[in-house]
Amino acid sequence: MIINFKGAKTYLGTGGKSLDSTKKTLCFLHGSGQNHFSFVQQARFFAYKGYSVIVPDMPAHGLSDGNPCKSIKENAEWINDLLVELKLKNVVVIGHSQGCLVALELNKIFKNTLEAIIFVAGSNEIPVNQYLLDLSIENPQKASQMMVTWGHGIDGDMSINKWPGHSHYGEGNNIMCMNKPKALNCDLNSCNDYSDGIDAAKNIKVPALAVLAKNDQMTPLKSGLKFVELIENCETHILDCGHFLPSERPVELNSIINSFLLKLK
Amino acid sequence: MSENYKFDTLSLHAGHIPDKETGSRAVPIYQTTSYVFNSTEEAASLYNMEVGGHLYTRISNPTVAALEQRLAALEGGASALACSSGMAAMHLVISAICSSGDHIVASSKMYGANINLLQHTMPRFGVKTDFVNPNDPEAIKRAIKPNTKLVFGEVIGNPGLDIMDVPEIAKICNSKNIPLVLDATFNTPYLMQPFKHGANIIVHSLTKWLGGHGIAIGGAIVNGGNFDWGDKDKFPTISGAHFALGGISFWEEFGPSALIAKIRAEGMYNFGPSLSPTNAFHLMQGIETLPLRMKKHIENTHSIIEFLVNHEMVEWVKHPDLETHPDHEVAKRILPKGSGSIVAFGIKGGREAGKAFIESVQLASHLANVGDAKTLLIHPGSTTHSHLSSEAMKEGGLTDDMIRLSVGLEDINDITKDFERAFKAVKKLNK
Repeated sequence: MIINFKGAKTYLGTGGKSLDSTKKTLCFLHGSGQNHFSFVQQARFFAYKGYSVIVPDMPAHGLSDGNPCKSIKENAEWINDLLVELKLKNVVVIGHSQGCLVALELNKIFKNTLEAIIFVAGSNEIPVNQYLLDLSIENPQKASQMMVTWGHGIDGDMSINKWPGHSHYGEGNNIMCMNKPKALNCDLNSCNDYSDGIDAAKNIKVPALAVLAKNDQMTPLKSGLKFVELIENCETHILDCGHFLPSERPVELNSIINSFLLKLK
Repeated sequence: MSENYKFDTLSLHAGHIPDKETGSRAVPIYQTTSYVFNSTEEAASLYNMEVGGHLYTRISNPTVAALEQRLAALEGGASALACSSGMAAMHLVISAICSSGDHIVASSKMYGANINLLQHTMPRFGVKTDFVNPNDPEAIKRAIKPNTKLVFGEVIGNPGLDIMDVPEIAKICNSKNIPLVLDATFNTPYLMQPFKHGANIIVHSLTKWLGGHGIAIGGAIVNGGNFDWGDKDKFPTISGAHFALGGISFWEEFGPSALIAKIRAEGMYNFGPSLSPTNAFHLMQGIETLPLRMKKHIENTHSIIEFLVNHEMVEWVKHPDLETHPDHEVAKRILPKGSGSIVAFGIKGGREAGKAFIESVQLASHLANVGDAKTLLIHPGSTTHSHLSSEAMKEGGLTDDMIRLSVGLEDINDITKDFERAFKAVKKLNK
C-alpha cells in the first residue's frame, strides 16, 4: 500500500493482505540497497498466516520516494515514527543485515516495546570496505552487482532456486537497481559508521531470534556468533547458504521464524 | 566462495547441482504431474504464491525449472518460464501484457507465424498491430500510440536476416515506457544478450539452436526484470488488482519478476501450454554444448558464405556478416561474434532452379526447421511463408528464388560437395 509519510510517497508491502493494527504486526526491515521485494517470500507467507505484515520501502528505496536516511539512528527514527503513525503496538521486528542494526536502535526508542526481535544475517557491526563505499558513489550499479555476487552462496552462482525459474543474481540486481541512485551509498555509510551495536545488543530485554548463514560474506558467521553472545537468551540457528537468507532459504527461514512466533503466543 | 561463473560454465551447470539424496549428476527427469503436499498449510502457501515450489506440472516442474533457471542465468535475466513452443511463449507474453483495445508495434520482417498471430489472430481479440520496418527506429517511434503496450521484433529476422538496432529501439521504448520484447531465437544468448542492450523481455524457440538437435519442441520467456510496470493505467493487469489471488498486484508483490509471476499464475494456469519434463531434459542437453556448437555454426557459416558468394550459379547471398548486407554495421556492433548461421541465397534460374536445388541435395535436409546441428534448407516462398500475400512477402524481404539455409556442424567440405552436386543438377535444368 502507498501512503504519504513525512511528505513523501511511501510504499509498505503488506503481503497481499490489508494492514490490521489489532493483530500482531511483523515489521520487516530490509538490508543495504534492498527494498520490500527482498522479503517477497516472507511477506505473503506470514500475511496468510494471520499476522499483519508491513515491509516498508525505506525512503528512496523500492517504490518509495524521499531522501535516503543517512545513519542507522535516522533509519530507526523513521521506522519508529511510521509505527506510531500507523498506530501499531504489538510489533515483532525482523531485520535483515542493515535492518538488524536498525532493529537494535529501534528497540531503544520504540515506546510500546517490541514484542520480539528477529535478526536475519545480522551482527552488531557491519564494516564496509572503502572500495565498495567509493564504488557505490561512482557506479552504484556495479557496486550492487558485486554485492549480489558476494551476498549469495552457491545457489546464486549456480542459479539454483526453489522459486521456479527465478535467478538470484538477475532478480537481486534488479531489486537493487530499483532504488534511487544515492540510496546505496547512504546505506553502506550508515552501516560502516554504526558503532553502538554492542551496547544495543546487551540491552535487549525482549525475546530474540537470530538466523545466521554459514557462507555469509557480508556479515560473516563469526561476527554473527559473537553478536548473539551479547544478547541474553538469543535463540540461534545457522543455515547452509549465503547472506541472502530470505531468498536463498525461504522455506527453512519461514519455518524457524514461524516456530519462534508461535512460542511468543 | 561466490563465483561469477562464465557463459560456458553456466551452460553446463546453471539450474542444477547434484541432489544430496541420489547424487544424480544429470538433471533428473521429474516425470510427474503433481507433488505431494506435506500439510494443508503447505498446499495453501503454494496456491497463494507465498513461497516458491511446485504444485502441478502445468504450472511448474523441477526439471523444467532447472531449464528455466539455466536460461535466466545465460541471458542475465531475473526469471524465466519455459513452455511448449516459441509460439506459445509469444502468445503468453502478449496475453499477459495486452487486453482488448490495446495496440502493438511489430517488425514487418518476421517469421510467418509471428506475423499471422499478430495480423490475424490477435485482432479477433481486440489487440491490433501496426507493422513497421525494423531497420527504421524512427518509424517505430512514429507508430507508437497512447494504447501501445509493447514493441516486438526479432533480433535477427526470419528469414530475411534483417538486424534490429536493439540499443536504439530500446531507447525509444524506454522513453515511452513501453517494453521491448524480442525474439532472440536466431542469436541465442551466446551471440548476443539483449538485456545488455536495453531490451526488457526475450522469447525463444528452444527448438532451434538452444536445443540444437531437432528432437524437442519448446519455448521460453526470459524476463529482464528491468521494466517498470508501475503505471496502473497502462498495465492494469500487472500493476493493478488482478482477479487472481484476491486482487493481487503482481508488480507490487513481485517487482522485477512481476511478468513471470503473472504468466505462471494466469497464462500457464488458464491456457496450459506447459513443456514436458522430458523435453526440458532434452533441451538442456542441447544447451550444455551451445557455446561449442555456436562457434562451429559461425565458422561453417562464414565458409559457406564464401563458397556461395564465389559460385557462378548463385545470384545473390544475404547474411549480416557480409559487407553488402544493409544492416552489416548494426550487426558488427551488436553481434560481434557473428550474426547467426542462417544464410539466404538466390539461385540463377529463379523459382524452378531453387526447387531443383533443394531436391538435389543429399546431405542437407529439406525441412521446416532451423538451428539443428545438421544442415537444413527450405524454400520459404512455398512453405513457411506460403500463406503470405505477394505484397507481404515483398514487405518481408522475400523473393521467389530465395533459399533459406541453416548451416550445420558437418565437415564444411562435405556440405560444399553436396551443394556442388545440387548446383550441377540446376545447371542441367537451366540448359
